[in-house]
Amino acid sequence: MLVMKNVNKIFQTADIQTHALRDFNLTVNEGDFLSVTGPSGSGKTTFLNIAGLLETYTNGDFLLDGEDVGKLNDKGRSRMRNEKIGFIFQGFNLIPDLNLYDNVDVPLRYRGFNAKERRRRIEENLDRVGLASRMKHLPSQLSGGQQQRVAIARALATDPRFLLADEPTGNLDSEMAQGVMSLLEEINQQGTTIIMVTHDAALAKRAIRQVQVKDGRVSELDLVSHRAIA
Amino acid sequence: MFSYYLKIAWISILRHWGLSLLMICAIGLGIGAAMTTITVNYLMSADPIPHKSKQLYYVQLDSWDVNDPFDEGLNPPDQLTYTDTTNLMNAQKAFRQNAQAQANGVIEPNDPELLPMSVSGRANSADFFTMFDVPFIYGSGWSHQADVNKEQVIVLNKEINDKLFGGEDSVGQTIKLDGNIFKIVGVIDQWQPKPRFYDISTGAFNDSEDIFVPFSMIAEQKIGRSGNTNCWKPSGDGFQAFLASECIWTQFWVELKTEQDKQDYQTFINAYVEEQKAYGRFIRPMDNRLTNVMDWLEHQEVVADDAKMMMAMSFMFLIVCLLNTVGLLLAKFLGKAPEIGLRQALGASRATLFSQYIIESACIGLAGGLLGLGLAFLGLIGVESLYGEYMQGLATLDGTMMILALVIALVSSIVSGIYPTWRACNIQPAQQLKSQ
Repeated sequence: MLVMKNVNKIFQTADIQTHALRDFNLTVNEGDFLSVTGPSGSGKTTFLNIAGLLETYTNGDFLLDGEDVGKLNDKGRSRMRNEKIGFIFQGFNLIPDLNLYDNVDVPLRYRGFNAKERRRRIEENLDRVGLASRMKHLPSQLSGGQQQRVAIARALATDPRFLLADEPTGNLDSEMAQGVMSLLEEINQQGTTIIMVTHDAALAKRAIRQVQVKDGRVSELDLVSHRAIA
Repeated sequence: MFSYYLKIAWISILRHWGLSLLMICAIGLGIGAAMTTITVNYLMSADPIPHKSKQLYYVQLDSWDVNDPFDEGLNPPDQLTYTDTTNLMNAQKAFRQNAQAQANGVIEPNDPELLPMSVSGRANSADFFTMFDVPFIYGSGWSHQADVNKEQVIVLNKEINDKLFGGEDSVGQTIKLDGNIFKIVGVIDQWQPKPRFYDISTGAFNDSEDIFVPFSMIAEQKIGRSGNTNCWKPSGDGFQAFLASECIWTQFWVELKTEQDKQDYQTFINAYVEEQKAYGRFIRPMDNRLTNVMDWLEHQEVVADDAKMMMAMSFMFLIVCLLNTVGLLLAKFLGKAPEIGLRQALGASRATLFSQYIIESACIGLAGGLLGLGLAFLGLIGVESLYGEYMQGLATLDGTMMILALVIALVSSIVSGIYPTWRACNIQPAQQLKSQ
């Protein structure tokens, strides 16, 4: 379960203060598939970064699986990212020098799994996204859709409780985007909580819950959620 | 994880091979220059007889002019008069003692086909060979009795024995030196202490001698005397007057096993000088010294100031090379900010990333160290060819120096990598991922 209460994020430069999140309140339950929409600069990516422990917040309360994130040091945050969170980025963010096998291997190394366990998980997850036969290929030898599938395999390899996706189909054509969305839905049905930031209203509607972020606040939550349930 | 870090470092070095090569060259050049000068200094200042250098003492007595000290540092003379050396030798107060002077002569080979040859020699006491651990191929040094009886015995070095006897065991045979017949009692193996600590008066890095004869042979005029001679008042006419003069041209070493032995010997030489004052000698304030091997080499400034200066300059060059490496590493690691952010997102802590990139720096440093070793090897060949015989045997890289080169390279590269790594690991991952 992810709970944010009155979370604020202020970016401070020498002269300017920018409130990216203002009294941000949101609860994401186990098994949710939540889509987050909103105009550019509304704070949805900042929310996702804070949710993924990639960025600190200025004040407020943030509990992830009951643990107060604000009290974690760098090591604790890293451990939590590795064990509980998987990331999917718009730009895929694969390491270009490493083949698919080694890309999926990265989070498993940091978890400390032995070689046999790592191999099992890598093969299983590449197979799950339909790329087991190409594990020795470099990312540059794949299409955009295939690269995003590798990123999903990497995100799933550690069995995360939460999958955070930032515009996961933003760099894909519509056919590939549909394929990736179907895969995310399948993953959610298997119990993984998904939070997806997107501009695409059609994709957002495929989530179980939808929220909109505007001026750093969650808005129209009840209305959108109600519509989604209906 | 270490093997994983190595694998990632290897991939990264190959991926950015141009930048990596520049860094390896920068470190290699710095290490090469530093190791060339460090090696020369290290070998110049090495302990030539480590297991007993603290038991061997060079004896100095201040028999010099009361109105004009021997040197500006008010040190006692660096050699002794023949009178004092002979008196100390006859007293036999030390565990071992050696009176010595440089000599030279001409050998007339028994083989009529060989031409007479000029040889460098040393006139010394029997204890010389045991005190200084001289290695023998055949026979040994002469006995104390041979010293006392002024026997015409001789020890050859391997080179002369090879020339005169084809390398065969020549012990028991005779040779003619300066017209006198000497009986060969021993042949020594290759022996080139660097520095030539037992006599640095004519060059600390000169070769050891071709032949060795009893010290008494000089007084007996069976061999010619050479080396430095300094007098502060006229020596008088004739050789006997010279021997009895205040001219300094002999050296005296003692082996003293314990600190107590040293104190006892110091008391002895002080008493000796006090006694000599009664004869009108030693008119300067008493300053008698016993100096062990390493202190003696230090005192005599065996490592030249310009060698030290060169070493300091080469270290400065190394620092410049390392500063360049810092800049290149900074460019490389900051260029990898998106990957660093991604790795953080996937669970790497800052400490983990720090270790990974420091290991990459160390790998570059190790490669630079190996290149530096090669350059140092070439540099030493250059030094040897520049300075010729003076540097022969000094310009070599031994195991210690090789390990030191790699350690310096590793430490330098790790130190160079700290700031770039710290900078790269301290950006928020969210910011780094934006640039992906």
